[in-house]
Parts: sequence; structure tokens; C-alpha cells
Amino acid sequence: MSAAVQLLPLTSSLDEIPRLADAVEAFCAPLEPGPRDLHALQLALEEAVTNVITHGYGEQPGHAFTLELRREERRVTAVLTDDAPAYDPLARAEVDIHAPLAERAIGGLGVHLVKKLMDSAGYERRDERNVLTLVRTFAPPAP
Amino acid sequence: MEITASTQNDITVLALQGRLDGLASPQLEQRLEALVAAGTRKVVLDCSALNYVSSAGLRVFLGGAKKLKSAGGRAAFAALTPAVHEVFELSGFLEVLAVHPSAAAAAASLA
Repeated sequence: MSAAVQLLPLTSSLDEIPRLADAVEAFCAPLEPGPRDLHALQLALEEAVTNVITHGYGEQPGHAFTLELRREERRVTAVLTDDAPAYDPLARAEVDIHAPLAERAIGGLGVHLVKKLMDSAGYERRDERNVLTLVRTFAPPAP
Repeated sequence: MEITASTQNDITVLALQGRLDGLASPQLEQRLEALVAAGTRKVVLDCSALNYVSSAGLRVFLGGAKKLKSAGGRAAFAALTPAVHEVFELSGFLEVLAVHPSAAAAAASLA
């Protein structure tokens, strides 16, 4: 299967989440992904984009950033690039997922899920931009 | 995200359909708060048609379960789809929330 690349421009609004999910689904459609693969990638990107909007841009509307999706065989790479102040979402402290109900905090759970659901997640500050790279190799299509 | 409510005796069943993402989760949060405020203490969240949940949705699930518990009530989750089940598992939610194979089993656990 040939490689494919798509650049998706995004703005700093949570209204983008459904459009993001639709774009990810359309981009992955040629792979005939199972529901878990598609869910994992959509979730990781919702968490990452939400972090950019809330932490990076402080929930201010009107900022533009980009998501590049790349497909090589069954490996999907997503690169999120924004010009917000330096912020490494992957550096957040690990959450305690075994705490009892009353003590469960939700902060950091999104990043925890990103790390668990992606094969790799990497952050770098490059040319005054935050660059987050997420990779997941999809399971073979159902026979 | 569509929420369909039904009641069986003192149990309210909320059937969730579609995607519980960061944009949709406030809708469920408000629904749960309104139920608790109106005196409902037993809630089944039927997730059989819920095909997506992110941390924003998990936050609402956790907040709703805590709110019901502190009011002397309980929440029971039912019929998780495989993708949603995986997210519950990775989050440790299977340990702190009551998860049942079907809405009927969830309702029976609250009776």
C-alpha cells in the first residue's frame, strides 16, 4: 500500500473535536481499521488537541495550528505542531489509576491514555514550536 | 451524542448513543446533575451504543458516580463496547465503577 499524507489546519476551539474525529476516520478508512484502532487514534488526538487549546493557548480562540497525518502501510503517524509557549504534555506526572473512587483525580488521565494507546509518543520544541508526534500501527484488517 | 432516559421504579436508565467527547460531555454532566438535584439516587448508564469516550467523558462518569455516592445513591454502568471497555480498563475505572454486562444486570444490581 502506498504512503499518504494529509495536512489538517485547526483552530483553538473545542468545536474542532468532531471535525478532527471525522478527518481521522476518513484518513484511516483505506486501512479498514477495527474500532479499537480508530478509537485509540481519535482519542489520542482529541486529548492532544485539547491540551494545545487549553494549556498551550489558554483557551483563547483565534489561534491556528496544524495536524499532519501520515500513513505508511498500517502505521499511522500524527504530528501536531503549534506555536504556543513551550509545553510538553508528556512530562505530566503519572496518574494513580488504582486510587479509590473518592481520591480519584481526573487531571493527567488524557495524557496517560495517550501514552498507553500509542506505540510511541514524542515531544520536541523545534523552531519555537511544540511538535508532538504520535504513532500507532493498526492491526491487520478483519478477514 | 444522544441521551435517552427511562425509569423503572426508582431507577433511571440513561441510554447513551454516539460519542462522548470533550464537546458532548457537558450535556451528560448537566443531565446527571439535574437528576441528582431532583432526587434520583439510582442511575444506570447504558453504554451499549456508546462508541467513543475520551478523558472528558471519563471525568463526567467519575464525577457523576461520586455525586451519586455522596448523596447516598449509586451509578451502574452497562454493556461497554470493546473500545470503551479498553479505555475504562487503561484508566483503572473497572476497579472503581460498577460495570455490568447488560442494562438489565446493572438495574438488578441497584434494586
